[in-house]
Amino acid sequence: MAALLEVDDLTKTYDGTVRALDSLAVSLEPGVIGLVGANGAGKSTFFRILLGLTRPDSGTVVVDGIDVGLDPIGVRTRLGYMPEHDCLPTDQSAADVVSMLGEIAGLPARAARQRASDVLDLVGLDEARFRPIEGFSTGMRQRAKLAQALVADPKLVLLDEPTAGLDPQGRHEMLDLVRRLGTFGISVIMATHLLDDVQTTCDQVVMIDAGRLVASGRTEELLHTTGVVRVDTAGRGTDLLAALAGREATLLADGTVEVPVTGDDDLDAIVAAVADAGLPLHGLTSQRSSLDDVFLADHAAGLT
Amino acid sequence: MTATNPTGRVYDRGYRPYDGELGGRSAARLALFKASVRRALGIRRSWRQKLFPWVLLAIATVPAIVNVGVAYITRGRFEDTIEIITYREYVGVSTALLVFVGLTAPDVICPDRRNRVLPLLFSRPLTGSDYVAAKVGAVAAIVFAFGFLPQVVLFVGQMLVSDAALDYLTDNATVLWQVPLAVAVLALYYASLAVAISSFATRRIVAAAALLIVLLVTSVTAAIVTEGGSGSTAWAAVNLLNNPLQIRDLIFEGQISPDADLAGVTGGGALALGVYLVVVGGSLATLLWRYRWVET
Repeated sequence: MAALLEVDDLTKTYDGTVRALDSLAVSLEPGVIGLVGANGAGKSTFFRILLGLTRPDSGTVVVDGIDVGLDPIGVRTRLGYMPEHDCLPTDQSAADVVSMLGEIAGLPARAARQRASDVLDLVGLDEARFRPIEGFSTGMRQRAKLAQALVADPKLVLLDEPTAGLDPQGRHEMLDLVRRLGTFGISVIMATHLLDDVQTTCDQVVMIDAGRLVASGRTEELLHTTGVVRVDTAGRGTDLLAALAGREATLLADGTVEVPVTGDDDLDAIVAAVADAGLPLHGLTSQRSSLDDVFLADHAAGLT
Repeated sequence: MTATNPTGRVYDRGYRPYDGELGGRSAARLALFKASVRRALGIRRSWRQKLFPWVLLAIATVPAIVNVGVAYITRGRFEDTIEIITYREYVGVSTALLVFVGLTAPDVICPDRRNRVLPLLFSRPLTGSDYVAAKVGAVAAIVFAFGFLPQVVLFVGQMLVSDAALDYLTDNATVLWQVPLAVAVLALYYASLAVAISSFATRRIVAAAALLIVLLVTSVTAAIVTEGGSGSTAWAAVNLLNNPLQIRDLIFEGQISPDADLAGVTGGGALALGVYLVVVGGSLATLLWRYRWVET
């Protein structure tokens, strides 16, 4: 598959001392991509360079075959951008704002109005689109920001902390929208420090820390199985530990037991031990690493 | 057996891609220009915001209507048509234009900074110079329209109430280029200066006050300097409030008006033109510097 984004040796320093990006190199395929890092990790700087709003000290960025350094305007016609902060004129209706921004993105006036209506409908603001934005809740403002990013049918949308300030329901709905964009053929780079959001939403992950690449790849490849199963015997973990004597098992606070395994024979042996001890087997689940584990492990490796 | 209703269907329209052509920088610039004009005129805004520009246009047109009305009432009674105001005097004489610029320029610039809209605008095919061109162009276009339309009312009205419309037209043919040129010069001056000053403020009232202070301070300074001297002095050229009117006089009369502060100053016309170019050029350069971070 052709690369959506190719970044090579990207470095950006502010005031000659603060290194926001440090020799960042990554290649990404089209899809829903999570850009993960703590606050100040360089995510926003990376977005600004993608949009051609900041020039890097060195390195190249190619979006959909176009070099940002050589043709930033050409790149911007392919991008949509949703900043983290409030950024919409509050004294205008969502329909007017999205339509205006669609026109500025290059849409003819009539098409801009039609697409503004379509994308506001898509993000769930169809009934509120003629209301002034100043009366919108945080969730509605986030949706309106997403709508303006989509209005010109971009190939790639850059979302900076799209779930910031949302309640659990709003966060769930926003992530659902982001997932849907992938099914519409729109690639997404979602910058966030919430690893759970990325794990449940993105098919690719890029992790950066202090401007340096920590890890990147397909989400399922990063979330490998750990070789540990968790056994739930309805709280009778102590009995299970006794039944598994000789195995390296650990009793957890919730009464379940984690047991290292190497293959199916080990699983059969655990099930047999539970049955022999007369314990109820409520669950036997293979433990997978989370993105937190990947981030922390690679971060620790980078520090050594 | 249950009858089905074939009309009761719900469709998920999903997402429809756009398969037309997208415009580039020129389309983006034009779209921002149109949006700024709409905003300044109160279009798609509340009735209060619509009221202000149109009331000002009406006020600016009053002298033309009065002039035409007096000419109509007194026609045939005197040998010459009575003129309360001349075309030259009508260019920029209305304070309404200055009030309009003082309130409109901040309104099209300041909210972009205050609401942090600039990252959205510049994530589109738009550069800093495009932004400056669209904003200054929008304010200048409206000031031109509001300065020119009353002149059209005056000219057409005078022509219709004159004894011979065709003769009036030929006798006053020179104003057909003098008026639009002088109004355009005035519009560019006010727009570039007002937008440049507004670009340093996030609050509209601060920007409006700053513009009026700059104009009034230079006006008062020039008055103090010229009053203190024994005669005409080149320092009168620092009067930024008066400068476009001196350029207007150059357009209409080919020289500085005899009753102007710069009258009698050697090279006064060139000096006034130089100040005009410095103010407009400096304002545009300041704006380009303010938005240089998105220049590509």
